Amino acid sequence: MIVPFGHVLILAGLLFLMGVFCTVTRRSLIMMLLGIEIMLNAAAILLVGSTLHWQNLEGQVIVLFVFAVAAAEVSVGLALIVWAYRRTGSVDPGDYNLLK
Amino acid sequence: MTIYSLIFYVLALFILATTAMAVTRRNMVHVVIYLIFSFFGSAMLFYLLGAPFLAALEVIIYAGAIMVLFLFIVIMMKFEGGRHRLFAPGQWIPAAVFGLVYLAAGTLLVSAQPGSRTVLKTARATPAMFGRYVFQTHWLSIEIVSLLLLVALVGALFLGRRTKKYATPKSIEDHR
Amino acid sequence: MSDTLTLDSTLIAAVLATLLPFASFVLIMVFTRNHRRLSAGLSIGAITVSLISAVFLLVCHWHLQTPLQYFGRWVVSGDIVIPYGFLLDPVSLLMLTVVAAISFLVQGYSLGYMADDKGFSRYYAFMSLFAWAMLNLTIAPTLFQLYIFWELVGLSSYLLIGFWYEKFSASQAGKKAFVMTRLGDVAFFLGLLLALVHLGNLNILELNSPRVAAQMSPTLITVSALLIFGGIIGKSAQFPLMTWLPDAMEGPTPVSALLHSATMVAAGVFLFCRLFPFFSQSAVAMGVFLAIGTITMLLSSTMAMVSRDIKQVWAYSTISQLGFMIMGLAAGSFFAGMFHLTTHAGFKALLFLCAGVFIHALGTNDIFEISRLGGRRLKVPTVCMAIAAAALAGLPPFSGFFSKEVILAALAELDNPIWLVAGLLGAFLTAYYTFRLIFILVVPDQSEPRQPDDSHGHAGYWQMGGPLIVLATVTVLLGFFQGPLENFFGNHICSVSAHTGSHGWLPYIAIATAASGLILAWVEFGRRNSARVGFVERIGWLYNLFSERWYMDRFYRRFVDVVIYRIISGLCTQNDNRVIDAGLDALSKDAVQSGRFVSELHLSMIQYRLLAIFVVVALLALYFFF
Repeated sequence: MIVPFGHVLILAGLLFLMGVFCTVTRRSLIMMLLGIEIMLNAAAILLVGSTLHWQNLEGQVIVLFVFAVAAAEVSVGLALIVWAYRRTGSVDPGDYNLLK
Repeated sequence: MTIYSLIFYVLALFILATTAMAVTRRNMVHVVIYLIFSFFGSAMLFYLLGAPFLAALEVIIYAGAIMVLFLFIVIMMKFEGGRHRLFAPGQWIPAAVFGLVYLAAGTLLVSAQPGSRTVLKTARATPAMFGRYVFQTHWLSIEIVSLLLLVALVGALFLGRRTKKYATPKSIEDHR
Repeated sequence: MSDTLTLDSTLIAAVLATLLPFASFVLIMVFTRNHRRLSAGLSIGAITVSLISAVFLLVCHWHLQTPLQYFGRWVVSGDIVIPYGFLLDPVSLLMLTVVAAISFLVQGYSLGYMADDKGFSRYYAFMSLFAWAMLNLTIAPTLFQLYIFWELVGLSSYLLIGFWYEKFSASQAGKKAFVMTRLGDVAFFLGLLLALVHLGNLNILELNSPRVAAQMSPTLITVSALLIFGGIIGKSAQFPLMTWLPDAMEGPTPVSALLHSATMVAAGVFLFCRLFPFFSQSAVAMGVFLAIGTITMLLSSTMAMVSRDIKQVWAYSTISQLGFMIMGLAAGSFFAGMFHLTTHAGFKALLFLCAGVFIHALGTNDIFEISRLGGRRLKVPTVCMAIAAAALAGLPPFSGFFSKEVILAALAELDNPIWLVAGLLGAFLTAYYTFRLIFILVVPDQSEPRQPDDSHGHAGYWQMGGPLIVLATVTVLLGFFQGPLENFFGNHICSVSAHTGSHGWLPYIAIATAASGLILAWVEFGRRNSARVGFVERIGWLYNLFSERWYMDRFYRRFVDVVIYRIISGLCTQNDNRVIDAGLDALSKDAVQSGRFVSELHLSMIQYRLLAIFVVVALLALYFFF
């Protein structure tokens, strides 16, 4: 007996909310990427919890894929950030306003 | 209150606290360190919820690879921080309002659902069992994901190569 | 009545008569513009064939009982069939012959007159176009077809009046003629539409049949008759649209001859003859026509009394004679109008062609100048002009006497004697101004220096002289054909000619009036030691009034300036500036402003957009959940 499923849900929701907050408020591309990682982690927790709840292994499989996607996303994202920083000297998303 | 539930609450608090610390730090290195702790907590939670293989992956990929990658970038690039206020009011107030609404609605939903009150029983998916399941039913997806990782690798290499073509402007203002 | 196109000699002749001038126009414009002789040959050849065909038709159908109709389908669209064809009845046959004959003579005459002109080929092309349009107009079986060629006549007269387009006044005159006749044509077109809506077709014979009264109320008939008459006012230069005709003298003189005798202005009167039974169903309209004809005749006669330009005098006389024809027709005598139209075509062409010889030889339009330079030594034109002038004045035994007498007889049969008095007054004035010109020309001025007689040698004299003699012969003889012509028209089913001859005294009165006009002219201009100043010219204001054309041109000028330029075009300009331009400006300004406003929202900051995405996704999730 661990905890009610609802508690897992609320934990994941809070974590997700923190990720959103990090993504939309911290004025740095790196922090935005980290916020995305936090959100992905929240999703992973939720999926593992629901695997246990429904006694179905599919959730864990999806978590596996989420990890893979996260690794790919982070490698490309960081490369982009480095590239953009080399060209412009800034990681502040507010400075990227050429199209305005 | 069993020992498992106690562990769960402790881990949950730990994860939330370290994440909150990470989100609010100004120093990037600190952020990454706090997040590593948060992911360790998540790994233990996975273990508790019956996914030992995923717990190992969480430590290896998230805390090990991804966060270290961040750490390298942060240290190598020497991004200067502290130019801005940490949270601009124009951004955090709407975000907080949205977050509160989201939280209230989420809590309401969770408490309204009878299924969420069912207590989770301990169970375990051993790595062998998990691996057999994955490669029996999802082998095609695994191949596709490996291809995705390869593409990401190539893309990262392509973006990271040094080019002599452009004179690198010092700031974005030079583009105007 | 034949509704199908079966090939018989009549049809072939009709097609030949009406198609060849157009063919020559196209050929000249496309191929032979640079070959003067070839162009003239083509044009004259075509009109010769037309003339032969027309005479053939006239002779073949001299005892025509019922009108012949030939129809082909031109446009078929659903229920609407627009036919194209020929209508052969006395009116069209006579008119066809007259038009072809006059066109033929004028084109022959132009060989001499236009010999030195740069635009020789162009001139003959336009002449062919003109002849084609007018020939087709005469034998059109429907008003729709008639209207098409009516407009083509207007176009080609515009082209010919403005033939010397490098002359500013000529192009202006062409424009004026075009625009003023267009005013009338708008009314004509409206009248056509009105008739079309109520009758379903515009067949002339059906329009003329008495059944029309059953299909249209009397008011409608009156209105549409008045509207169609608007076209006649424009084309035949009736009051109040008469001022374009004197200006049309800017074209070459043969063009004036053609324009004034058989084609352009005659088209209006011809249309009246064409629709005579239709018009005569509305007594009100006929009254209006009578009044307009009378006013036109008197006004233009007075204008002719003071003009010094030989062509202008004849131009005014044309207007007045047209008014006279309208009077005759409106008085109810179909034959009177048609007969005068025919005789007038002959002597008016003769007058203009004679004037053309003087102008060509002496290089001036002023009659006093012509007299001073010895115009009278050009024997052929002088004699011919005298004959034609006598015909115009209505002296026996020339053709004009007979036709005028018929009109006066028709006027005498009206209840109100004022019309007869007006007609006699017009005849008196006509005789006066005609012989004023003749006496000025013929009687030598005492102060005139003797000049060597060298004028006969110039080129093209006999080319011009030939048509003159032909026309003079016609003028002398045509009057004696009144009886046969009357029989010819008597067969016409719609003829309501009721010439009874009960006014035995009328010819004497007419002769007396004309003779008194002649005598007055002789006293003032022809007598030895005469002052050569007309009685009108002694009264200053009257002279001004007449020579300024009763100030009609000035009135139109003022009218155009004030009403059209200042008020209407001013309003349009205001509308353009204030409403259309300003509206567009405001619209575009608003678009730019709203674009600015929206671009304020667009902060180009990715985090705001991410936040918005999260909010929307979350709210959507909630919406779908509940």
